[in-house]
This record gives sequence, C-alpha cells and structure tokens, in this order.
Amino acid sequence: MNNLNKVPVTILTGFLGSGKTTLLNRILTEEHGRRIAVIENEFGEVGIDQGLVINADEEVFEMSNGCICCTVRGDLIRVLGNLMKRRDKFDYVLVETTGLADPGPVAQTFFMDDEIQNEFTLDGIVTLVDAAHIDQQLGRSDESTEQVAFADVLVLNKTDLVNDESVDRLESRLRGMNSMARILRSENANVPVDTVLNLGAFDLDQVLQNRPTFLEPEYPFEWTGVYKVEKGQYKLTLEEGPDPNMSLVALIDQEYSEEDLKDGAEKCVRLYAEDAEELSPDGAISFEKHIDLQLMSDGQKSFLLDIDKNCNLGLFTQHTAEEFDIKLFSTDSEKKNIEVPVTFERTWVAQHEHDDEVGSFAIERKGDVDIEKMNAWLSKLLAEKGVDIFRMKGFISIADDPRRFVFQGVHMLFDSQPEREWAEDERRNQIVFIGRNLDEEAIQNDFDKCLV
Amino acid sequence: MSSINLIESKGVLRNNWNAEVEDYVIGCEWADEGNILLVGNVAGGVSALEGETGNILWHKSKTHDGNLLAISVNPNGKLFATSGQDGCILIRETAGGAVIETIQLEKGWVEHLEWSQDGISLAASISKNVHVFDYKGQEKWRSEQHSSTISALAWSRNDELATACYGKVAFHDVIRNKIKQSLEWKGSLISMELSADGDIVACGSQDNTVHFWRRSTGKDSMMSGYPGKPRNLAFNSSGKLLATGGSEIITVWSFENNGPEGTTPGQLECHESFVSMLSFAPHGNRLASGARDGSIAIWGLMSDGHGGSIGTSRMSDHVSSIAWKKDSKVIAAGNAKGQIVSWKVKT
Repeated sequence: MNNLNKVPVTILTGFLGSGKTTLLNRILTEEHGRRIAVIENEFGEVGIDQGLVINADEEVFEMSNGCICCTVRGDLIRVLGNLMKRRDKFDYVLVETTGLADPGPVAQTFFMDDEIQNEFTLDGIVTLVDAAHIDQQLGRSDESTEQVAFADVLVLNKTDLVNDESVDRLESRLRGMNSMARILRSENANVPVDTVLNLGAFDLDQVLQNRPTFLEPEYPFEWTGVYKVEKGQYKLTLEEGPDPNMSLVALIDQEYSEEDLKDGAEKCVRLYAEDAEELSPDGAISFEKHIDLQLMSDGQKSFLLDIDKNCNLGLFTQHTAEEFDIKLFSTDSEKKNIEVPVTFERTWVAQHEHDDEVGSFAIERKGDVDIEKMNAWLSKLLAEKGVDIFRMKGFISIADDPRRFVFQGVHMLFDSQPEREWAEDERRNQIVFIGRNLDEEAIQNDFDKCLV
Repeated sequence: MSSINLIESKGVLRNNWNAEVEDYVIGCEWADEGNILLVGNVAGGVSALEGETGNILWHKSKTHDGNLLAISVNPNGKLFATSGQDGCILIRETAGGAVIETIQLEKGWVEHLEWSQDGISLAASISKNVHVFDYKGQEKWRSEQHSSTISALAWSRNDELATACYGKVAFHDVIRNKIKQSLEWKGSLISMELSADGDIVACGSQDNTVHFWRRSTGKDSMMSGYPGKPRNLAFNSSGKLLATGGSEIITVWSFENNGPEGTTPGQLECHESFVSMLSFAPHGNRLASGARDGSIAIWGLMSDGHGGSIGTSRMSDHVSSIAWKKDSKVIAAGNAKGQIVSWKVKT
C-alpha cells in the first residue's frame, strides 16, 4: 500500500508543563485550512473550536503473548477506525499523550493493527522537553528517557528560562541519547509548524543533508585551525570565554587535505587520552603534547610558541576558536604583533557525555545486502534485543533490486517498503539504532556479514 | 428510489432493488414485519426504505452531532434507537421517524446499543459504562465502571446482559444488580456473539484469535491461526455453527458432537479480500457473507460446518452490514459508500 494515500499521524509527547497544549493550539491555529483530528489524552484541554478534538482513554492493551513490545493503544484503534468511515475524512491526525506515557504503545499501534496500518502512516514523533526541568526528569523517570529516545523531533522548549550554556549542555546530552532527531529550540513552543508536521516519513537523506556530521565519529576536540608559519616566535591569545581552562594539542607539519586532517585528528585523539600538562598564561606550548591552558585570570591571556622551521602549524582545541576569540600573532621584532591568518579551519563533532544508558548510533556501508541474510539477522536481533531497541530506521540496498528500500521499526516491529530507484546514485545502506545499552560493535559486525 | 440494476448476481441470489444513502452504512435492519428497512449511516443520516421497492419512505439527516455509531431496532419492529459521538440516544418510531425519546448521557461516544429480546429494555454502552433504559427512556440500571471501554453488548436473557471488554466477559443481572458470571481471559476482546441458547460465548480478539467459553461447564478454548482480526462472528439459529472472519476464507466451527475442539472446521473460499460481515439466516444453515472488496456470497452449510457457495453478487465497496428478513427469503446489505442492495434468496 502506498504511503501517499494514507493519513499521516504525528504523536506529541512530553512531560506535563513541557508545552504540548501550546504547540497543539499553535498547529490548529496555523493550519486552519486543514481537517485535523486531535486525539487528546483524557486530561487534555485544548480549548479551540477548529479541528475535531476527541478525548481518548489511553487504554494500553497487552497482547495475550505477554510481550511488552506488543502493547498497543486499544482506544486509538477504535477511535481511528470509526473516524475513517466518513466520506469527508480529515487529512491529518495528532495524538497527544499524557506526560507519563511511554510512547511505545502509541507508535506500535500503527505497526500492529492491519486495519490501522492500511489507512494511516506514522509521520513522526515530536517530543517537547522543558529545558528547565528535563535534566532531573531524565534521571528519575524511564518515561521521559523513552520520550526523548523515540523522538523524530525534539523541541527544547522554555529556553528563555535557562542560560545558553545549560541549553547547549542539554542539547549535547539529548543528542547523545538520540542522534537521529532534529533538535529545535523554542521559548513558547513557537516552532514553525512545518518542522513538526509532514516530516515525510523521515527522509533520512534530508536529515543527513541538514546535519552531515551525524554519522561522523566523535572527537574530544571541537576545532582545528591550520596556520602557515615561518621559523620564529609566536603568541596565541585567548579572550575570556565560557570555561576556566581548555585542552589543546599543537602539531607541526599539519597539512589540510581531509585525509591529512583525519590523520592529525587520530593522532590527537591518542594524545588527548594522556594526562594533560597544565600551562599558565605566558608559558610555552610544547608540540605533540596534551596541554591544559589555564584561563582563570581576567582579560586576555597569551601563550608562547617557538617554531623552528617554516611549516603548517595545526592547533586542535577542545572548544571552537570563536568561543575564546583565539588569535595567533608573530612576536619577532621585525614583524611584531602581526596576526597570522588561519589558512584552514574545521570543526569536529564533539564527544557527548555517554553517561545515559540510552544512546544511538548509525551503520553506514556501501554495497548491497543479501536480503535473506539480512532478514535472518534482523529477526534474531529484534527477537533478542527488541525490548531495548526503541527505534530503528534507515534504508538498504538489496542485491539485484533496482529500488531503495526504506524501513522503520519500533521495538520488535518493523515495516519496510520499496522507494525510488537508485539510478545513478551510489548504492549504500544506512541504519540508525536508538536504544538502551546496545552493543554497537556487535551490531555493526553482524550487519557486515549480511553484505554481499 | 430503486435504480437500474447493473449488479450481476448468480446462484440463489436475484436482484431485488438498489438504493443509496449519504455515507458509510453503520447498520441496516428490517422493521415492521419486513415492510421497512431502517438504515443508519455514519454521517448521522437515518432512512426508512420500503421493503418491496427500496423507495425512501422518510429520511432524517444529521441526527447526531458527529458520527452516528449504532442503530438497533426493537424486536416489535415499531421502534428503533440510534446513538452517536454526541453522547445521545434517540428512540424513534419506525413509521414516520418521529423522535419519541431523547436520552442525553455524559460526554462520550455511545458505541453500542442492544434491545432485549422482549423489546422492553435498551442497553447502551458509553466508554466504560453500560446503562439500561426502558422504551420511555427511563434508566432502569447502570453498571459499575468496567476496567476498560466496552467493546460489545449482548442480551443473554431478558434480564441478563453480557458485556465484553479488555480481558473479560461479564454477565450482569440487571434486575438484582449483580454480576452473575465473569469469564476472564487476558486479551483485547473486540467482538462478542452468544449462541441462541446463551450457553456459548464467542469473542474475536485483537491478537487474531477467537476465544469461546461454554457457560454451563466453564470450559473454554482458543482458536488461532487467523491472518487478521476475526472481528466478525455469527452463530446459526441452532447455536451449533459459528462462522468467523479474520481472513479471505470463512472458518466455520461446529459444536456438534463435542466439537469444535479436535475437529476440522469448514473453510469457505470465494472472497478475494478479507471478510467484513457475516450473518446466518434466521432459519436453516444458510450463511450470508460480505467482504472488503464488496463481494457478497451465500453459503449452504452442513451440520459439520463444511459447505460451499450457492450464490454470489457484488456491491461497489466494503460490505458493512447484512440483514436477513425473518422468512430467510430476502437479504439487504449496506456498504462503505452508502450503497444499499436487496436480493431475493431462492429456496
């Protein structure tokens, strides 16, 4: 069945006070031309005339086999089944869950029930997060963790109530749990409606285009600058920044082709793993050493560099140059205080704190898979680990099939469909997993065995 | 409003008439000794069609705010009730369609309506509660709140009402206000049918099984292997045959000779899409079936549940309701597009 003829459904989750009702009202107001059915939780209070608002009982039904992956929302099956009978059907459905709801059963309803599956397609799960309170909630409740893990879109709401630094830290934490989601920031749930509706069944290509770094490895540094320097004395200046100290590694002869940068980065990863040498302002930076610049004092700080030949100098810093307004100056008498421009710079995906049990990773491989091996592997994986795999989505290239296959899954359930043809595009496979305590290496290795 | 008949019918089926209503037919039932077919559609329209011709005798539109959810004709044929998403029940006269009682319940969907066999009591379910009214709209009884939304209602006797919901079927004595029997099974029960003598309770379940109990012995069984949800169930008049959907194939279980456990059920094949409606004739072992693709079939069955198709026809879309006249010689069916077709069934 073609997804295009199905009614898209967006699930709105989030703790009490995260702004779900505000967002709902905003959608209904801005999309007044559409026929939207809203299925609210029993405590929902959308006070708006437009749109068909139905209060549901949130009846979570376990199937008789007792598997928690097979729980569905019985009330949704009934309500949606009934609404679909009318000739003047609505063209969008929003399902709002209570703050404490596990999003699994709602999402599973769209995979488990054939009648619902024939008429509806899960467009996306939007989770609202109260920026001021989510940190504590994530520690205390499984539900809020699952709501974050299940999301296609995470709206970081009420950011006006916390400082920028906390929001950055929070975003990094959420990103660590769910690298697939698009993260939006808002003050009063004022995100553009088209960023939460009609996600078009997660076009992964688009996600990657928006955020090409998403499949890259993570590094302990965020920035690299390459400077063309001659033999002589230099100073590195830093203005006041967000942290009292910052790690740095300086490399001589750092070229700036992508390959050279990656080699340099690998070297620095190893150096960063070593204990840092603390360096106070006006001290000299040693090369190929993990240095910890001490930045507690007020005003601008300088550190010295003694370069003994003409070369390219590479600096790998823990934070971006912008955050401390990092500059390099020559201090030789004849060229005193002439700034050395950065020849090449790039940023890296910074390492996230991985203290949360829930995390995500992606498999990306070129080539084709053997569909029989793939099916056998997935069945086994989902049977054994389905409880811990919250979501899985991606596309694969099946040997001898001209089409790209897209699929998405919730716990043990998944649905795959042929999509456009590969044509001139390079055939490849990409799968994102979000789950609890997943063994990334084992899953990657098992996937490799499915390749032709 | 009988129109030109383009439907090709085979076997025992002979086209009688066609008619049309506004939208998806929620229910069609014969009333007034088969002289009138009452039809309720999802958009809230209620129509009375002349039994002989299909001509519209009267029509009321938008009778409920939101969707119409249920229609039930009183066994006396003179009254019927409808209910909707507006929490309202309307009792009307078959002749003329005038509203004689309006019962407004709390906010919610009144999803199920059933008149008792003696026509004195009307049961209505709204969310987790059931109310019983007399034909004047006076409340006679109300249930305790069930553990989940009620998915089916059936009168086992004039004073005993069965309800099905997630995990159980309960038999309520509505006079003495007590639960007489509770049959539990962990599963989402989505439909319920009782055999004529009330001994066998059959339920379709969300997880593609049929579960049934024998009230007298408490013995229960589960029938699995359905590719879809066996929502549609029908007992024949003797209560010995149970036809079940959940597939393109109709599976018929026979309760003769200690069955159906350990027996091979009848497998009736001719529909090319999932069965959407099943109804046994009031007399004998003829079964009428409709499917999601609009196909209609009449089956002749033996006492072991095996048999074959003896007539076929076709509607324009998903068959949503089938009603036999009391004499078992005429059927009418409604579908998802609002089409109503009546056939004569040769004996």
